Amino acid sequence: MQEQAFRFGRARHLVGIAGLPAPAAPKAVGVIVLNAGLVHRIGPFRMHVEMTRRLNACGYPTLRFDLSTIGDSASSGESQTRKQQICADVSDAMTLLGEQAACKHFVLIGLCSGSQSAHMVACSDPKVAGAVFLDGYAYRTLGYRLRYYIPRMLDMKRWLRILSRRKAPSDGSGDPPFTVAPLPQAVVRADFAGMLDRGLKLCLIYSGGISQYFNHARQFRECFGRVVSHPDVFTRFLKEADHTYIFTGDRNRLLDNVERWLSQNFPVTADGSS
Amino acid sequence: MSTRTEAEMPFYFGPERALFGLFHAPSAATRKAVLLCPPLGQDHIRCHRLYRQLAQALAAEGIAVLRFDYYGTGDSAGDSIDMDWQRCLADTAIAAGELRIRTGVDRLFAFGARLGGSIALASAAQAGFAGVAAWDPVLDGRTYVERLDAMQSALCLDGRRFMVPRKPVDAAAQWLGFAISDSLRQQVADLHVERPTVPALLLDSLSPDTPRSLNGFAVDTAMTRTLEISTPWDDPRRLEVAILSHPLIQAVTQYMREAA
Repeated sequence: MQEQAFRFGRARHLVGIAGLPAPAAPKAVGVIVLNAGLVHRIGPFRMHVEMTRRLNACGYPTLRFDLSTIGDSASSGESQTRKQQICADVSDAMTLLGEQAACKHFVLIGLCSGSQSAHMVACSDPKVAGAVFLDGYAYRTLGYRLRYYIPRMLDMKRWLRILSRRKAPSDGSGDPPFTVAPLPQAVVRADFAGMLDRGLKLCLIYSGGISQYFNHARQFRECFGRVVSHPDVFTRFLKEADHTYIFTGDRNRLLDNVERWLSQNFPVTADGSS
Repeated sequence: MSTRTEAEMPFYFGPERALFGLFHAPSAATRKAVLLCPPLGQDHIRCHRLYRQLAQALAAEGIAVLRFDYYGTGDSAGDSIDMDWQRCLADTAIAAGELRIRTGVDRLFAFGARLGGSIALASAAQAGFAGVAAWDPVLDGRTYVERLDAMQSALCLDGRRFMVPRKPVDAAAQWLGFAISDSLRQQVADLHVERPTVPALLLDSLSPDTPRSLNGFAVDTAMTRTLEISTPWDDPRRLEVAILSHPLIQAVTQYMREAA
């Protein structure tokens, strides 16, 4: 496997690293990994490097790149909304990987805001065949609130602290250090349904690091209804992991899940197709 | 697109093209060049934006700049567990050679933050640097290792990060998100950067309560400058927050501009 560095895009403003498996897999689906927040293309704790190299070893061509104004990428100089920029940037990325690896369809992978970016593009771009949403859209449901509040109501130590007016030691859990600005729940449900109607395959993996608004595997269904029972939707709640997978063991478990989902849904065949 | 962005070219270089680099070409022919040596681990990610801003500021001054990643870091080949101190020093010398080839400039300067500063100082002779600017370099490895170990252990009980407490074994053999080998741990613990053999600017922004070991290091060839605002290198609450500092960029740019 050989990684290659590229400056590319409609304004040659984007920087990315393509991983091109050897021997070439001409019909394999291409995998594009999007920025997680403002972290440059290597991902939190280099997760995107580990992920793309693993997938290269399985035969998938990959591209990890920086969206406009993030990491090493510059602005395109166009007057566009952020959504338009992201869709155009990902389109540029698909063009590059298509040229380099001859793939026509793509799977997008994104964590946190990267999931949001993947969602935007997956809603409209016909070249997207699947998406992996890591800590994507979620909503505090009734079930969430019950799971959150009931243990606290039954916690005698907590009541004693309150009654004795002792301030509980702050665990800093009041304000989440990160969040995905939510689209309305009904819109996301409809978006998922639309993606599935178009034949996309979806993988939702959420971590315990977003416990401010997501705290159980059941919450996938509470949030998105029957959509998550669709055979082309895979969900997994990795309760023990944090939002950015700081421990190597957690990161490996995440990558195991992503690799398994890809190999089951977009298998690389002997002739390189998927 | 502006020619400035076009002048920033990503590429692979070195033996087996294992090292990633990004060359910032100045707008005109140059007689100066600076190699930016990144820190290791999470400091590398936190400083990425600042390194890019610094490179662009230097290029705007007519100074050629090469940013690069050591083997086992960033976009370079190798796994994180492959990080090795001696390899970092050797990679720095290779990157210096690459910068000389690309610019035709023989007299190079280097900049590095934290362990990147230590690497720039330690490799000054091997890489042939004419001067080094080091920002809060790690000069006493043992204290640094103790601090990293303490922060790593504290992660297990971090209620902001984890829904359930984690076991110490989950955090073993890692420093703040990166797998580390026993040999790297020992190499960093044994780190004691000797007094610089070339002119050096030490930029100090450690918090007042952080132990320093500049005494005996800041000899007559070295110059120390204190930045007014402390840099939160060791604040666990800001572990994933970018390090940015315009005073630092101004100080380094001025030093490189004035360096003969």
